Amino acid sequence: MMDVGRHPNVEMLTFSEVEQVTGFVGNFNVTVRKKARYVNPDECTSCDECTKVCPVAVPDEYQQGFSSRKAIYLPFPQAVPSSYILNMENCLGNNPIACGKCQDVCEKKCINYDDSDELINIEVGVIIAATGMEVYDPTEYDEYGYTRYENVITSLEFERLICAGGPTEGHFIRPTDRETPKSIGFIQCVGSRSTDGRGNPYCSNICCMNTVKDTLLLCDHYSGVEIKVFYMDIRAFGKGFEDLYMRSKEEGVKYIRGIPGEVVENSDNKNLILTVENTTTGKLEKHDLEMLVLSQGVIPRKDNAKIRQLLTLSTTSDGFIMESHPKLKPVDAPTKGIFLAGCMESPKDVKDSVTQSGAAAARASILLNAGETKVEAITSMVDPDKCNYCGVCSRVCPYNAILAPDKKTKKLPTIIQAACAGCGACASECQQDAIYMRHFRDEQLTAQVEAILAEDPYKQLVVFACNWCSYAGGDMAGTSRLQYPTACRLIRTMCSGRVDEKFVLQAFKLGAPMVLVSGCHFTDCHYISAVHWTQKRMDRLWNKLDKLGIRPERLQLEWISAAEGQKFAKVMRNMEEKLATVTQEEIEYTMKALAEDEEKEKVKKQKKDKAVEVSS
Amino acid sequence: MAPREVLFKCLNCMHEYPGMFDMDNVTERVCPKCRSNSVRRLPKPKPDKK
Repeated sequence: MMDVGRHPNVEMLTFSEVEQVTGFVGNFNVTVRKKARYVNPDECTSCDECTKVCPVAVPDEYQQGFSSRKAIYLPFPQAVPSSYILNMENCLGNNPIACGKCQDVCEKKCINYDDSDELINIEVGVIIAATGMEVYDPTEYDEYGYTRYENVITSLEFERLICAGGPTEGHFIRPTDRETPKSIGFIQCVGSRSTDGRGNPYCSNICCMNTVKDTLLLCDHYSGVEIKVFYMDIRAFGKGFEDLYMRSKEEGVKYIRGIPGEVVENSDNKNLILTVENTTTGKLEKHDLEMLVLSQGVIPRKDNAKIRQLLTLSTTSDGFIMESHPKLKPVDAPTKGIFLAGCMESPKDVKDSVTQSGAAAARASILLNAGETKVEAITSMVDPDKCNYCGVCSRVCPYNAILAPDKKTKKLPTIIQAACAGCGACASECQQDAIYMRHFRDEQLTAQVEAILAEDPYKQLVVFACNWCSYAGGDMAGTSRLQYPTACRLIRTMCSGRVDEKFVLQAFKLGAPMVLVSGCHFTDCHYISAVHWTQKRMDRLWNKLDKLGIRPERLQLEWISAAEGQKFAKVMRNMEEKLATVTQEEIEYTMKALAEDEEKEKVKKQKKDKAVEVSS
Repeated sequence: MAPREVLFKCLNCMHEYPGMFDMDNVTERVCPKCRSNSVRRLPKPKPDKK
């Protein structure tokens, strides 16, 4: 961090927050709020005279509340810049100045009570997002007694207690009697791999090895301490991790397979009695321990939704930020020019974070060095003759790639080609057909529908499949030699968001008995949120079919990922079964009803156009 | 718009069930009975004019 602070090519903005990000790859404009520090970092020498006179004492967040800090303080010992900061919420007041002692003793005169936030604009070509994660608060696991029993602490609190720079200067003591505990227990997976509604279902990745490291630290510092680790299974998968785990066992640490169901405090000596089912022996055991450490999991930042909105990113079902492709673009965000590093993407240890940061920096430098970027061949275009300036296109774009039109000034929507990823949601949502997608134009897709239904239409299953997931799922079914009906006819679109209502209606009008729209699962969507519009559109289509007296179940929707070959085959077999229930009369009625509806719509549109012409 | 309770209908197995619907926070729909994604949000029944 010191090296970064000193580097001539790196400008560090600490104690700052990104407020807005506009633009696109190569031309991002970032608005940053530099918060008021009330201390000039260039002048402050960290002499510590101010903290000596400050009368305010509040719990120190960095030391997990085990010690206190003053209202003016150094955030942590290795802080860059090594400058004090004044927390105005803790200060006795600056308007009017209630105390002012720190300003009086500061020889360098670097304390300024009139300091205020500053907004700065930065133009950048690429962005690397590394906003990190938070730790899980285990209070909801009431059976462990965290916050009820003083001797139950979290792994992060353990870290502060055993750290030489911590509140006890590295002397590990238990909070109730300030004595070194003779027996310590660790409970693994607190808030991780949980399916009972508390915590999170995913593995936090780092807790097992963190506990192994902690047990070794204890063994090194305090020989003779009895250490027990209660676990489901130890995940020591990295390089050298298994050796570390074996070393911990050799040092005498007892690993007991079983997660305690109850922790009770002995009111006399404040010891903790754990009840656990040892799943190796199948016996119920009670363990008397002087201290208990909860190995808490990690969770996404609480403000991830804001970050996601700022940078037009998407999140996984766990709440972490999703990468563009898990194998081919693991550090790229779905928005071009934005890269991800560290735990904002998924829980990971230091080594993986450093590796990912290096990869993100390399990916970013490729773009920066080239000085130019290739835009997608499949992007949207506006037809100026058809646009009525409604602005739907700019509202549905997941990438904010369409600048809104203006009816008053007759300004057409502007599509930023460098930002457009080509999902086609805008083209499908535009009721005027004023937006078309290169290579996936309406004419090209309707021609495919017509070709499929040219012969024996009542025998065909029309399937719209997205390029990245459903179509690949079909490939997976094929390469896995899974049997599925030969009647299915696939039409590939880049995203299910491109499947226009009129393609589906046209298929029915031409005699298709069943139509399937399939796309990526919401958390896999390659176009951030384009798939959301597919679901909304399907609701509209089902309502329309119902209104026309056509069975809505003849139109099916399925989210199929690239790995779900089995699901693809199952869905197709299911579609074939449903096809058998559609009668010839039903198909004929559908064709007639849709043709009549189309005629009605045409007349309605003509009347509307005429009215507009007269009024103008 | 605030989330509200609506009726969903699976168009695969015809199972109807109530659930929360939030216009601003669209979530993937899965039928609790057959796991199909063909889940339709049923429109509100129109009030009887009589």
